[in-house]
Amino acid sequence: MSSLRFIVIIAGIVVPCSVKAAGLVTTIPYDFEAHGLADFRYLHADSRQSWIDQGLGKFRYAGANNGNDLFRVDKAALVMQARLNWNWTGMVTAKYSNRQKNPVDISEAVLLFRPVSTSAWRLNARLGAFMPPISLENSGTAWSSPYTLTNSAINSWVGEELKTFGGEAQLSYQFASGDKVNLFGAGFGNNDTAGTLLAWRGWSMHDYVATVNDRLPLTTRANIFQLFPRQALQTQPFIEVDSRPGYYAGISLERPELVKFRALYYDNRARTNAIDHGQYGWHTRFWSLGAKMDLPWQTTLIGQGMFGRTQMGRQTRGLFPVDSGFWAESILLSKAIGSHRLSVRHDRFGTTEHDLSVRPVNIEPEYAGAANIEQGHAWTLNYNVTLVEHHQLNFEVSTIYSDRKARLLLDEATGQRETLWQLSYRLIF
Amino acid sequence: MNRIISGFLLLLLVTNSAYSATLSGELKDSAGAAVSDAVITATPTQGGLPSLSPQQPKSLDQINREFVSHVLVIRTGESVIFPNNDKTKHHVYSFSPAHRFEIKLYSGVPSEPITFNTPGVVVLGCNIHDWMVGYIVVTDTPYFAKTDASGHWSIELPVNEYKLTLWHENLDEPDASVSKIIKVIEGNSVINDTVSLKPNRRSGKPPSTLQEQGYQSEP
Repeated sequence: MSSLRFIVIIAGIVVPCSVKAAGLVTTIPYDFEAHGLADFRYLHADSRQSWIDQGLGKFRYAGANNGNDLFRVDKAALVMQARLNWNWTGMVTAKYSNRQKNPVDISEAVLLFRPVSTSAWRLNARLGAFMPPISLENSGTAWSSPYTLTNSAINSWVGEELKTFGGEAQLSYQFASGDKVNLFGAGFGNNDTAGTLLAWRGWSMHDYVATVNDRLPLTTRANIFQLFPRQALQTQPFIEVDSRPGYYAGISLERPELVKFRALYYDNRARTNAIDHGQYGWHTRFWSLGAKMDLPWQTTLIGQGMFGRTQMGRQTRGLFPVDSGFWAESILLSKAIGSHRLSVRHDRFGTTEHDLSVRPVNIEPEYAGAANIEQGHAWTLNYNVTLVEHHQLNFEVSTIYSDRKARLLLDEATGQRETLWQLSYRLIF
Repeated sequence: MNRIISGFLLLLLVTNSAYSATLSGELKDSAGAAVSDAVITATPTQGGLPSLSPQQPKSLDQINREFVSHVLVIRTGESVIFPNNDKTKHHVYSFSPAHRFEIKLYSGVPSEPITFNTPGVVVLGCNIHDWMVGYIVVTDTPYFAKTDASGHWSIELPVNEYKLTLWHENLDEPDASVSKIIKVIEGNSVINDTVSLKPNRRSGKPPSTLQEQGYQSEP
């Protein structure tokens, strides 16, 4: 989808709302709400050159040339919501982020359809640009997490590469007790490159959410571009390459304010031999499972898991040029004490490879860039306090150990430990 | 003066003839904590019920995106209005068999009363604010009470035999209610009970932080 067409749709939602917000017109028959989040960081990084700087470091921030201490405006996001009538709501998230391609861009834009139901059955839907329902942690303004600054490996990838343009419908049955069973499914386009980063770079952990016009870098120090000269230097996560829609479908079971379980299967059905302006189609499919439990003493437990496979290129002798399996899991425990919150999360992740570039014994340098085998684990510890609703201070430390064969090509040891200390002030409104 | 006193005595006699007994009690859960918002109804096993005299509609407000009260008890045939005290709209609905309805509520605009003609529990939700939950308990009998924050309740009623029913949204029983037959004698009777509750109490309150209140991207 061209960005121009997208902007026209967004403008159709946002402009009338802004007019209303400015008080110029008072008769527009819908409600307008704006919420936002600005996040300022002081960081102390003991990490390798970040993937966002074409390295293979796992964090978004690394010390590199400026020393290890950094000040950054991490993001500033505005969520605009217009209630168009009793059934339809428009929602757009516009944001600035450090390193975003366009300084201000759209990260989500949806029309939500929620008609009231006076039976136990209910049908809801959304249309637009949105992320598949995978994360159980990012429930805050502009997809922020109330628990940690750094997202889990799974949710970091959702933020980077999983943005779909399409429609999702959800059929729910609600019991008198409040328990709900939801079946949902979506058809979508614009997500054919999903898997590019996971294969060439591996998992990462950060809070960067890609926008609709975004470009995310691939490492230039490995031999990706020698093996695939037509590959663009940057991957474009929100793009349709082969004109073939993908889908996801799933089920969620919910006992409100106690437990939620969700399972989803995703398949972007991309043609592996498609390429458009340097963007290859990656046939990516995976299972995502998650559970969230509200335990006694204001304690929350969230577990997520994912496993899948991504393939690219023309198949030869039964093998793809790139064929990578991936898996990740995380478990988060969080306890709120009034306005204070303490959270700890453990992540484990890995990728496997079964493709033309496999060299099980002694990786030869010319193939090492395609040696996308990885294994790692991480701990994240966060304390935050929210003052008078609007001001949140976060103290966080994250440490990742990862082993990735492709680092040999960067003259780095394959095993690396990276640690990031963060102090954040968030303004929330 | 004498006339005033005799008038007062007469009133007292009339009151006594109508309600000569008081049932009261305290409700706790198995952990010893007070149980609020439980509904106790007493239905005579013999004789009829006093008919419902015309009444002003009861009121169930929405304040700070929450139903206030969380539980409202009314008699069968009574009406309820739903004043919206918030700046936002509310879209109140119920799919309970006792009364299926939906009503659109604009900020500060008085709502049409809704009449509840079937006894039972009507669970309320808001289509705009998913966390909101409230209950209207519709009962045939005029003898009912709701436990307060300290778990206390009290009903004045005539001497008779009654079916006493206890309902609480999280009561760990079929239909969330239990019943027993009791004989009510003149004077004060105290019934203290302990009940076991399921842990899935829906607070009906908005998420505790603004960060989690202002974001809805999933349908």
